[in-house]
Amino acid sequence: MSMIKTEGLCKSFGDLAVLKNCSLSIESGEVVVIIGPSGAGKSTYLRALNHLETINEGKIWIEDNLLDDRINSVNLVKLSHQEETAILLEMGMVFQRFNLFPHKTVLENVMLAPINVRKYPLEKAEQIAKELIDKVGLSDKLHEYPSRLSGGQQQRVAIARALAMQPKIMLFDEPTSALDPELVGEVLGVMKELAAEGMTMICVTHEMGFAREVADRVVFMYNGEITEVSSPEEMFSNPKHEKTQQFLKSIING
Amino acid sequence: MNLLQEMISWVPSLLRGARITISLTLVSVAAGIFLGLFLALGKISKNRVLSKISSGYIFFFRGTPLLMQLYFIYYSFPQIHPALTINSRFMAAFIAFTLNSGAYSAEIIRSAIQSIDKGQREASKVLGMSYAQTMRLVIIPQSIRRLIPPLGNEYIMVLKDVSLVSIIALTDITKVTKSLSSTTASPWPYVPAMVIYLIITGIFTYVFNKLETKFSVYD
Repeated sequence: MSMIKTEGLCKSFGDLAVLKNCSLSIESGEVVVIIGPSGAGKSTYLRALNHLETINEGKIWIEDNLLDDRINSVNLVKLSHQEETAILLEMGMVFQRFNLFPHKTVLENVMLAPINVRKYPLEKAEQIAKELIDKVGLSDKLHEYPSRLSGGQQQRVAIARALAMQPKIMLFDEPTSALDPELVGEVLGVMKELAAEGMTMICVTHEMGFAREVADRVVFMYNGEITEVSSPEEMFSNPKHEKTQQFLKSIING
Repeated sequence: MNLLQEMISWVPSLLRGARITISLTLVSVAAGIFLGLFLALGKISKNRVLSKISSGYIFFFRGTPLLMQLYFIYYSFPQIHPALTINSRFMAAFIAFTLNSGAYSAEIIRSAIQSIDKGQREASKVLGMSYAQTMRLVIIPQSIRRLIPPLGNEYIMVLKDVSLVSIIALTDITKVTKSLSSTTASPWPYVPAMVIYLIITGIFTYVFNKLETKFSVYD
């Protein structure tokens, strides 16, 4: 069973095609890293999966549930609002800029959605939240506001917040790009741990070390297309496509 | 009797006027903020009709003189239909100031809501929150701190606009001052009156500064 499957995703902003016929299937427990130059459509692909962007054409399945079947932006799949939300909640997301709620403490950030969306009782939500905050190593920051935390700590809270909804899939949209270099490691550490536990993950990143070490497959996107998909060894030692070779060369030299 | 003693002797009458001024300001702006919240949510709503109605309301009340709105509600409503007669002058003034302040508050609230980073909505959406939950739990609480300075300003503006009620014979500070000045044939009642205005404005400013600090704890 594939956890996520997309078929022929297309998306344009006006005349600019940002996704062109993107098809990909991701198995349960798989870690897929998407790389590519900026403007390649990596983030848009990720954001199309959880409806932060609306695709124009194509199909999306989450756990074999057909979520989108769009032609001319119109979804032929008619799901009730509850059904759609239930499917979308299988995906947690971590953003480049964390997007923590600044008016809530660490604990409140993590508890907010479980209480209001999952309707968990307070004690249960608090217990889950505390476990996850402990897991990302921030038990001593429970009652701090995000502004008092470093970027790396904020991103770890954001991961805990997403996990609190108990998703089956985690989407990471350049989770370390806004961090100072010395803080990247702590966030990647949490992500590696998640991967080791068998979480299905799609991660847009420029951290090639992470891709090499953790990814099951690496996807190279260029100009809105999925240009190449292969194992990390293959991708980094023997890239097939000319654009992939150029990109990897530019990263190593840059 | 020297001038200072004379001024002090006017103070009790002025304070009776101040009660009208302050109470009218406080209740009108409070009700106006409440009204403004709904107008602001209406204006940014995806519902076209709701958005147009809210925009039209705001355009009308910001685009016509408050004095004329007050006249119209108090004097012209009864002429349109006797059932629209508002016997209490205070009530008429309250309605006019609330409707007017609602339009200004709506714009203040709308711009505060729209100033909240788009990432906050996206984070709320991927956590499964509905539009109403996102507004109630995430966007509006963060907007409050940004609202406080311009709403403080709105209170001070209305405090001074309330002096217009003298035209429907409500005895606010300005009306009392003018009467004192004519009965005593003295220019001086204006001095203690203005001092009272400044004290009230000063208190409003102080309270709003405190509120701003209180709501900034998470910065």
